[in-house]
Amino acid sequence: MGFGYSFAGAMLLNGVVGEVFDTVAYAMMVLALVIAYDYLLSWVERKVVARIQGRYGPEQVGKYGILQNLADFIKLISKEHSLPKNADKALFLLGIPIMLAIALFLIFILPFSPSLSSSDMSMGMLFVFVVLSFMPLIVFVNGFASGNKFAAISAQRSVVMLVSYELPLLVVLATVCAAAGSYSISGIVNAQANSWFMMLMPIGFAVFFVAMLSELGRSPFDMSESDSELIAGWLTDVSAPYYTLVLFLDYTRTFLGSLLIAILFLGGWQGQFLPPIVWLLLKSFAVSVLMIMVRATSVRMRMEGLIRFGWLWLLPLSLLNLIISYLLFIR
Amino acid sequence: MSTRINIGPVHPSTHGVLRLLVDIDGDRVESVEPHVGLLHRGVEKLVENRAYMQNMPYMEKLDYVAPLSYAEAYVSAVEHALGIEVKARAVYVRTVLLELQRIASHLLWLGVMANDLGQFYTVFMWAFRDRDKVLRLMEETSGARMFHVSMRLGGLQHDLPKGFEDRCHELLTYLEKQVDKYRNFLEKNSVFVERMQGVGLLDKERAIALGVTGPVLRASGVNYDVRSNNPYYAYDALGFEPQVRSGGDCLTRYDVRMMEIEESIRIVREALNALPEGSALGMPIRFALQAVQERVSVVKREMPRGECMMYLVADPQQPYRLHVRSPSFANLSALSEIAKGCKTADLFAILGSLDIVMGEVDR
Amino acid sequence: MKIERVDLAARLNEMRKQGYTYLVGITAVDYVNHLEIIYFVRDLAKNTEDSINVDLDPSDAWVPTITPHFKSADWYEREVGEMFGIEIRGRRTDRLLLEKWNGKAAPLRKNFNWNEPYETMID
Repeated sequence: MGFGYSFAGAMLLNGVVGEVFDTVAYAMMVLALVIAYDYLLSWVERKVVARIQGRYGPEQVGKYGILQNLADFIKLISKEHSLPKNADKALFLLGIPIMLAIALFLIFILPFSPSLSSSDMSMGMLFVFVVLSFMPLIVFVNGFASGNKFAAISAQRSVVMLVSYELPLLVVLATVCAAAGSYSISGIVNAQANSWFMMLMPIGFAVFFVAMLSELGRSPFDMSESDSELIAGWLTDVSAPYYTLVLFLDYTRTFLGSLLIAILFLGGWQGQFLPPIVWLLLKSFAVSVLMIMVRATSVRMRMEGLIRFGWLWLLPLSLLNLIISYLLFIR
Repeated sequence: MSTRINIGPVHPSTHGVLRLLVDIDGDRVESVEPHVGLLHRGVEKLVENRAYMQNMPYMEKLDYVAPLSYAEAYVSAVEHALGIEVKARAVYVRTVLLELQRIASHLLWLGVMANDLGQFYTVFMWAFRDRDKVLRLMEETSGARMFHVSMRLGGLQHDLPKGFEDRCHELLTYLEKQVDKYRNFLEKNSVFVERMQGVGLLDKERAIALGVTGPVLRASGVNYDVRSNNPYYAYDALGFEPQVRSGGDCLTRYDVRMMEIEESIRIVREALNALPEGSALGMPIRFALQAVQERVSVVKREMPRGECMMYLVADPQQPYRLHVRSPSFANLSALSEIAKGCKTADLFAILGSLDIVMGEVDR
Repeated sequence: MKIERVDLAARLNEMRKQGYTYLVGITAVDYVNHLEIIYFVRDLAKNTEDSINVDLDPSDAWVPTITPHFKSADWYEREVGEMFGIEIRGRRTDRLLLEKWNGKAAPLRKNFNWNEPYETMID
């Protein structure tokens, strides 16, 4: 455990029990961080989108509407929980908690600073991305488990989307890891001590940002979630208390995506004056706000629009980025 | 292997109560069958039992997005039947109000259509704010933002209030900038262009055969606009020019409507500068019984959505028969032909570009 | 112009060939002794319009369909047929446009009984 301080030591617990205790304590801290970040981000989203649209956003509940999300949460969990008759109960109810578990787990294993990490795997980035691509598959399963043909069709789209954006994402990732000389997260961050990868490979940054938007299911790529004009998305049959989990999952994934972008391109926790974790969170927050602004102003793409875009633009650009980076500075 | 899905009467956007039965094969729409009649209020039968001026609110509720257009068309039909002349100043004031109503209607269309495409309410909010400004201006003339009931036989209920011209000119300069802003915002968005270009193609012969009307017809290259082919009020004197494009896809229809907003702004400006002196007041609601000059009067007007024909068989006190041929009815009947073979996401782009208001489809 | 029902389809086809290609609308009026069905056609090139009126006997109210000539006549014919009880012969589909009445009376006729309850159905 990369802690400067050991809870277990303080409580005089030794051995395996101490390790487990430390891990659990760290996990609780990460969970608290994620909840706080998500809460703040959802408030910022509502305000920023509202301001772009020329209105104020939540104002009444709490100062500047900060308690609005709490009020919505309470409202949602007090509603009726129902299941569709044809649904496969176990699959349907488990799908979203599993996705949530995956997202939280990935945030858990990310090091937040040199002194604050649960583990620093030597293949950290690769591991993260392998596990990250499970999510659209679980969306797929969830769509089928709804017992609703529209949800199934909509969930199939998430898999088709996966095909389009995953490859450029991984190519850029490989480029960054090659430039950094290692797959481990601290290795990548330390390699950016002199200049961030965003400056060194701007094309890669753009491609990665767009592909990450698509991975997170955010506008302009939210066909599977809110294709609500025509086919109600895979989220139709999710009941209100469950929907709180979906919202939590959505913002947690955004947090994860922003963290990854901050680590890979914006220098992670590098920076003067402030503690490293604060830098990391600030950078990831900036990326999240950028994603929010894109959402407020973009038009949703069609399915084949995304496929064409992914294969005709993202993939060639990512390969171009790879070639340029190799020629310029990867040795 | 096609699945039949029901896009039910309840919609996320303000199309109204339209039910579409869509046969989908994979990602492609095989056939669309619109089921209308869910908003049928029996207006054509109701007006037969009420006096002329009592029917005004019915007419306004037909197209609830641009109510003044219908009120004016109906009053025009009655004036034609009873042989009542419209006062000179009222002609210009009516032109001004009609064109302002057209701008408001097109702004609503813009917001709703962007919404349909997945644009998360941003353009919707902006367009509605501008529409609100226009409605506030029209509120000055009659006291109501939407259902004005301010048309009277031979003129209007109230003349334009003092200072209306200045406020209107201010609003028009503001709207010009806003239209440019919207065009910039949407047309530079390559996703928007990709979703609209080449979608819902309708060439000239097919457009005429299917009987579409209004901007949909003009976007297919047919130069027909009631305001120029069959001029009424001040359009002739102000040199109205119809906006015709050839292209026939959704992007062209969008283009035609944006150009129509600009043309309307110009017409309002010139009409305000050319307002004749005099009174614009028409006959009061309880007017003396007039003799029917023409039993059958047919009046054609250019609504924001297309051409509307009012067929009135007049009795001295009430209509004997009133038939409203509304533009949305004609456009919606062509939907099943236009949308054949398109992608599922395109269906809503097409529906948005046809600009349907269910109130006038069902009457 | 007023023509007889027998000439209707032929006359409209002839006008279409002459240039009146655009059907503006179809409507009907119930003058109690007779029904009058009116077709409005327009020549877009020459900017002229014409209306064709056909008088029908209320007890023998039918017209042939003109959808082979004017594709846009489909919905108008359905509406007129349903509202006035005019049978449009030769149509492919018989689905009522507006509502599914229990078929007893035609709403826009003058002898429509307001006080009798009618059933409608949405399928």
